[in-house]
Amino acid sequence: METAPGVRIRDLTVVYNTPMGELPAVSGVDLTLTPGTITGVVGESGSGKSTLALSLLNAVQPPGRISGGSVEIDGLGDVVRLRGEELRQARGRKVGYVFQAAQNSLNPLKTIGKQLLDLGRSHDVADPRALVRDAKDLLARMGLDGARVLDSHQHELSGGMRQRVGIMLALVLNAKVVVLDEPTTALDMITQATILRIIREVHEERALTTLVITHDVGAVAEVADALAVMYGGRIVEHGPIADVLGAPAHPYTQGLIRAIPRLSGDISQARALPGRPPTLGTLPAAGCVFRERCALRMEICETVEPAPVTCGGRTVACHAAGHSLAPVKRKEYV
Amino acid sequence: MITGTAVTKTFRQRGNVLGRREVPALRGVDFTIGKGGAVSFIGESGCGKTTLGRIIAGLETYDSGEIVIDGTPMSGLSHRRRQPYFRRIQLIHQDPYSALNPTRTIHQTLEAPLRLRARQAGRPRSWGDVRAEELLALVGLDPGYVLPRYPHQLSGGMRQRVVIARALTMDPEMLVADEAVSMIDVSLRLGVLALLKDLRERLGVSVLFITHDIATARYIGDGGELYVIYRGQVVERGATETIINEPVHPYTQSLLSATPVLHGLERPGPERVVPTEALDEGKADAGCLFARRCPFSTSRCEAETPVLGHDGGTGQLHACFHPRRRSVVPLETA
Amino acid sequence: MTVTVLPEVAGTSRATLRRNFWRGVWRVLRRKPSRMAGVGIVALFALMGAFGPLLYPANLPRDDNALYAPPSLAHPFGTDFEGTDVLALVVTGARYVLLTGLATAFITVALGTAIGLFAGFRRGRWDTALMRLTDLNLAIPGLPLLLVLSTVWKFTSPLEMGLVLGLLGWGGVARAVRSQTLSLRERGFIEAARGLGLPTRHIVGRELLPSMAPYIAMNMLIAVTGAVYAQVGLFFLGVLPFEANNWGVMLNLAVFSGGALTTPAALPYLLAPLLAILLLTLGIVLIVDAMDEIFNPRLREE
Repeated sequence: METAPGVRIRDLTVVYNTPMGELPAVSGVDLTLTPGTITGVVGESGSGKSTLALSLLNAVQPPGRISGGSVEIDGLGDVVRLRGEELRQARGRKVGYVFQAAQNSLNPLKTIGKQLLDLGRSHDVADPRALVRDAKDLLARMGLDGARVLDSHQHELSGGMRQRVGIMLALVLNAKVVVLDEPTTALDMITQATILRIIREVHEERALTTLVITHDVGAVAEVADALAVMYGGRIVEHGPIADVLGAPAHPYTQGLIRAIPRLSGDISQARALPGRPPTLGTLPAAGCVFRERCALRMEICETVEPAPVTCGGRTVACHAAGHSLAPVKRKEYV
Repeated sequence: MITGTAVTKTFRQRGNVLGRREVPALRGVDFTIGKGGAVSFIGESGCGKTTLGRIIAGLETYDSGEIVIDGTPMSGLSHRRRQPYFRRIQLIHQDPYSALNPTRTIHQTLEAPLRLRARQAGRPRSWGDVRAEELLALVGLDPGYVLPRYPHQLSGGMRQRVVIARALTMDPEMLVADEAVSMIDVSLRLGVLALLKDLRERLGVSVLFITHDIATARYIGDGGELYVIYRGQVVERGATETIINEPVHPYTQSLLSATPVLHGLERPGPERVVPTEALDEGKADAGCLFARRCPFSTSRCEAETPVLGHDGGTGQLHACFHPRRRSVVPLETA
Repeated sequence: MTVTVLPEVAGTSRATLRRNFWRGVWRVLRRKPSRMAGVGIVALFALMGAFGPLLYPANLPRDDNALYAPPSLAHPFGTDFEGTDVLALVVTGARYVLLTGLATAFITVALGTAIGLFAGFRRGRWDTALMRLTDLNLAIPGLPLLLVLSTVWKFTSPLEMGLVLGLLGWGGVARAVRSQTLSLRERGFIEAARGLGLPTRHIVGRELLPSMAPYIAMNMLIAVTGAVYAQVGLFFLGVLPFEANNWGVMLNLAVFSGGALTTPAALPYLLAPLLAILLLTLGIVLIVDAMDEIFNPRLREE
């Protein structure tokens, strides 16, 4: 089996054209996806996480555009430079994408099988039979009756089944890099747990490099190896998931984790983060983007944007966290 | 104080020419919500929890059973006679984006119900303006900022606070919060939940919290009661802490097991229950409704229908022939 | 990506709100030059309808020496078969056409909205009954009925004409408004209003109607163009008497008496009313484009 490709995002900036001029939704993001791992990207509305995900396909829609940086994918080169036919072939064959609300992204008028064949045709698949066979295998792997699902229309499938169909369509052309945008939103708890388990298993069996984009820390905590936390278009913290969750270094990550009601621990310690997430228009032009909501705010935060500092596999962009980062207590990693 | 006895509701969907399809939403539910109490309904989508909440808020009719508000049975009353009772039970919608009229300012939104209240109580019109400011301050908003604005100019969290303020115009005895925070940014959710908690303490308003996320119910419902609903039936009911820490029904255990574990902070409970998947649920209605998905079901479960009781000497009520405590909740790592 | 720019807001009184609304309307119209053009065109026709007949004597002067005269400085669109200035005919004819259009649009929208709203809001038996009535209205063959009616009714007043066209044409609006109402009434804010026990009058008038305003306004504008076509068509066909100065009558005379389709002499006589109709329609269509932004506070203020 071929090895999973690595993905290196360097200094990526995506701007949106607004009445107030071009504003960055993603600015200067560096992120490396280690081959064969699942990376979770967590962020609130307006954090730029979906824009970042679309950049992996070079699929940012106007009024947005990638204004700088590169997205290197092994075996494909810099996606940002790809154009036309090359790009179209790369989407689907090299990079699979499961769209946000994949439950609703299927064509209601066509059976799943027809949509699968359409996908095959648009990618010049020589052997449609093999394609259908692969699709059935994938669906069976995810606990569904492939033949029946391919004969069904969207409305005949439950939310969890549609999500699996979305994953199948992303993988059936043998893409090795997979992006899942909010894979569990609008699913029930038990279904969510099932889908997350499937994502993990399929990821390992097919030797993929996976990126999961979500607003829900819980949804990635179960599956991801690494976690990147986004705020205001920047990655403010990135590292092995148990480290980031167990000993968060950035004040935003700390606040976010404290804001999640959990089943374990002292519930009375849970607190909301004060303030509100920034939008494109309210993002400060200079200094730290999180300072408005930050308890550790210092003078330097007003003027200087904290640079990401990497230390022992973890990256943090915070003036206040720089010193305390070194002795991270290793947590048991399950 | 509101109590319900054997409340049923069946939705009749328009079917094909041959007849209609009947979908039972509630199959005889008993409940009691005392003054100033905190009750949570937990279940997956389609389990009937939302329907029950809407019936309690007077927005939906029920087929049989009885609902008694402050000693007055509702079933004998005309729609007009019921209204004063149901007006004191206000529903907080799940979606703060559609719950406010986009063409009206917050001032206009609050003015209409307040004018109604002023007329009923024989107060002057100006009372409404004063009250609107009081209520907004009560829900933690700045009246000067919020009043002249349209809903689209406010964040999700602020909108949900406005929705709560609007509900408070009726001096309600009870707020029914249906997934009230699921569409709000993660870092702000706890703020809205804390507000509901606070209103309960300060105003003595009882809160009915409807959610699929038990962890959220744990936050809002401490000291309260929790109902686990599966396919229109209450399968387990008791003190929130008891149900979360010592669940005996396999369905409750499945829900708790499905809650994501934050690795690094938590480790999974040792006896996690994974239900079999229900791909074609709902054919057979005899016996325990959960039997087909239950990993512990026996022949008795298929034949007999369990009723809510204290069998096996449990503290909580449950509807299971084989109640057994299992350690499914994530444990905090030291 | 949403970018919200908060406007300067002061006070919450009704007067302030109204002032902000009109400022917003102005902003929306200025956003695209095409909209301003539309406003200009419609304003021009409105002035024509209001004051046009005052510019000319009650009986337009004839010039027997210049029958079907070609366009010149004195007669920009030439003259007709009697030597009357075509431009004067178009200008004085505008009032009848516009009044009919407005009357029709008003009746169509008022009836259609009322019936659609009531049916959609009440549902059940009322809905069924009103929708059968709507189907009936939609099924009435308008043109043949008008032909029959015109034998007994001369339609000398534009309001009579508008009344008949309006009564024939509300079905489509009723259906559309009903479906809008059905979807809106499921929205959270309508349900909240019911939960608060607000009177139906408030729910329909203050919550439902404003949400449908862009839709209703659009229908109204489009109904105007429809009515213009319908009546001009009727006059053109000659089923109505030629009493009034009217664009349709002009078209009829140009084609059937002047032979405008075969000889170039009467061509300006044919083209002038056509141009007027085209321009009016264009003006209205250009404005319709702004309705969504005018009635949606978010789009209005962005």
